[in-house]
Amino acid sequence: MARSKKPLGFRLSSGWLYLCLFISVFGNFLPLPEWDAYDYDASGVGMFSKGHFFGTDFDGSDLLSQLVHGTRMSLVISFVSVLAASLIGGALGIIAAYRRGWIDSVITMYFNVTLSIPTLILVLAMVAVFASPDPFDPGAGMPRVLVLVLSLTFVIIPVLGRLARSSALSWTGRDFVLVAESLGMKKRAILWNHIVPNVVPQMMSVAFLASGVVIVVEGGLAILGVGTNPGESWGSILAKNRGDISMLPHTTLLPAAAIALTVMALNYFGDYYRSKIDGRESRI
Amino acid sequence: MSELFEIDNLQITFDTKRGPLQAVRGVSLVIRKGESVGIVGESGSGKTVMSRAAMGLLRGRKVHRTGSVKIEGEELLTLSNEEIRNYWGLRIAMIFQDPMTALNPVRKVGSQFSESLVKRMNMSKDEASKRTLELLGLVNMPEPEKAVQKYPHQLSGGMRQRVMIAMAIACDPELLFADEPTTALDVTVQAQVLELLSELRERLGMAMVIVTHDLGVVAGHTDKIAVMYGGEIVELASTPDLFANTKMPYTEALMESIPRLDRKRGDRLPTIPGSPPDPIAARPGCGFAPRCRYATDKCRTEHPELTDAGNGHMYRCFFPLGGK
Repeated sequence: MARSKKPLGFRLSSGWLYLCLFISVFGNFLPLPEWDAYDYDASGVGMFSKGHFFGTDFDGSDLLSQLVHGTRMSLVISFVSVLAASLIGGALGIIAAYRRGWIDSVITMYFNVTLSIPTLILVLAMVAVFASPDPFDPGAGMPRVLVLVLSLTFVIIPVLGRLARSSALSWTGRDFVLVAESLGMKKRAILWNHIVPNVVPQMMSVAFLASGVVIVVEGGLAILGVGTNPGESWGSILAKNRGDISMLPHTTLLPAAAIALTVMALNYFGDYYRSKIDGRESRI
Repeated sequence: MSELFEIDNLQITFDTKRGPLQAVRGVSLVIRKGESVGIVGESGSGKTVMSRAAMGLLRGRKVHRTGSVKIEGEELLTLSNEEIRNYWGLRIAMIFQDPMTALNPVRKVGSQFSESLVKRMNMSKDEASKRTLELLGLVNMPEPEKAVQKYPHQLSGGMRQRVMIAMAIACDPELLFADEPTTALDVTVQAQVLELLSELRERLGMAMVIVTHDLGVVAGHTDKIAVMYGGEIVELASTPDLFANTKMPYTEALMESIPRLDRKRGDRLPTIPGSPPDPIAARPGCGFAPRCRYATDKCRTEHPELTDAGNGHMYRCFFPLGGK
């Protein structure tokens, strides 16, 4: 079978995402200065300086190193929380659709209540509650990253859960489920063999979009001061340098560009994936 | 031939917001071993609901079922969800109208097929895939080895319906319900599929119920035909008798609306004016009276009972065609 040529946008997006993936796995082995070292001789140099390709920030830390180092944190936070939310939300949504009755009502109510609170405010509140209870001892309590991941997971569960529920409901009504029933298949087998394989691809396309949203929210949280430690993720690089935007614009523009490119790539990826599924659907 | 399947005064009522919807109003039907029965009626006549309920597929809080459905004397209507599963597929099976939606789009044909063999017949995976190929050969599927590797959308409608038929007969049922088995197929494929069904029925000795809106479909492939209207059987007779001595004006109207080659060019196809009765509203007289060209005041006020013309030809009409 001849491989059809993929659209340019898709190849650019997947290229960028693969680059990010490579960097987050092998970034620490690249020949770059330490991301948190202070080179006071080269404080705040511009882009393409000798020894500092993307320049340095006000403290003299190498920006390229920071971006490379931040890739891993940003991607891990977004992928882990979206993956966890997909598993939990997907399971809840499918159970709701499958059991109906009061279980459905309770789960749907939980989804709707959580969705009615603005995402950023909910995460902010959760981070504030779970993170260090003692302002003079920021190391106490749960690690900040774990808190972030947990809170972000919590707010995306209903997004993916509702999708899983409605998708599972629509598949449950299909004829092939009736056929499987009429052949005497057990409900549980039907759920695993017929409903789940159809719901998963639909959730995947939205999961890509959700990953993008999470990266943006994480950046927003960093600017609000509840992100990861300074300079550890793209968002917190942005947050740390936001005061220097007029003097050292590259220190904020570069992490912002990294976030923007990744979100765009994820959105494009998700859209492309969905169009593939829709195409397959329409051929049924 | 002995009696295999007995439906006795089956009534199906759905709870709806407008009130109880009586989809099936006291249907009785006997199906003998190896017999082929046609159930004919227009959309909304209750034929699909009747067959699904007879099989026990309609269950739930909003479905009320009374009467009795027996297979070789064993009552099916009162079985729990768990118990009836032992009958589905093994003793009674069903093929559905639309082969486009009756297969799971994300799974290969072969894996969907052998799944029921593994789960129902306790076969090993190897045995199941062997048997799958055998069964697909039985339904004249060209190149079954290739077909099992394909996804449903890669097969044509006729091929998919063959897969469905093979799945339904996989566990050797005694009774096969075919709910509009050819409606979604084009005419030449329809004929092939009907031929295949008749052939399989004879070879496997199973009884078959063909549910359709098309008298032409059942004419050559059934032993007897039940005509349904408004949730009731209005005429029941052996196939030759039904066509030769039609008693019920509704059946006559149905036959007239079959397209024929000997009609003059440009003639309009006769249709039945009006629409089927509202299944929720009360119905004092004959359900067909408002659309019947012979209806009298009696038809509009009194409900006709099913009457035997003497030779087992049953009809539900005060003024049958050709006299009583």
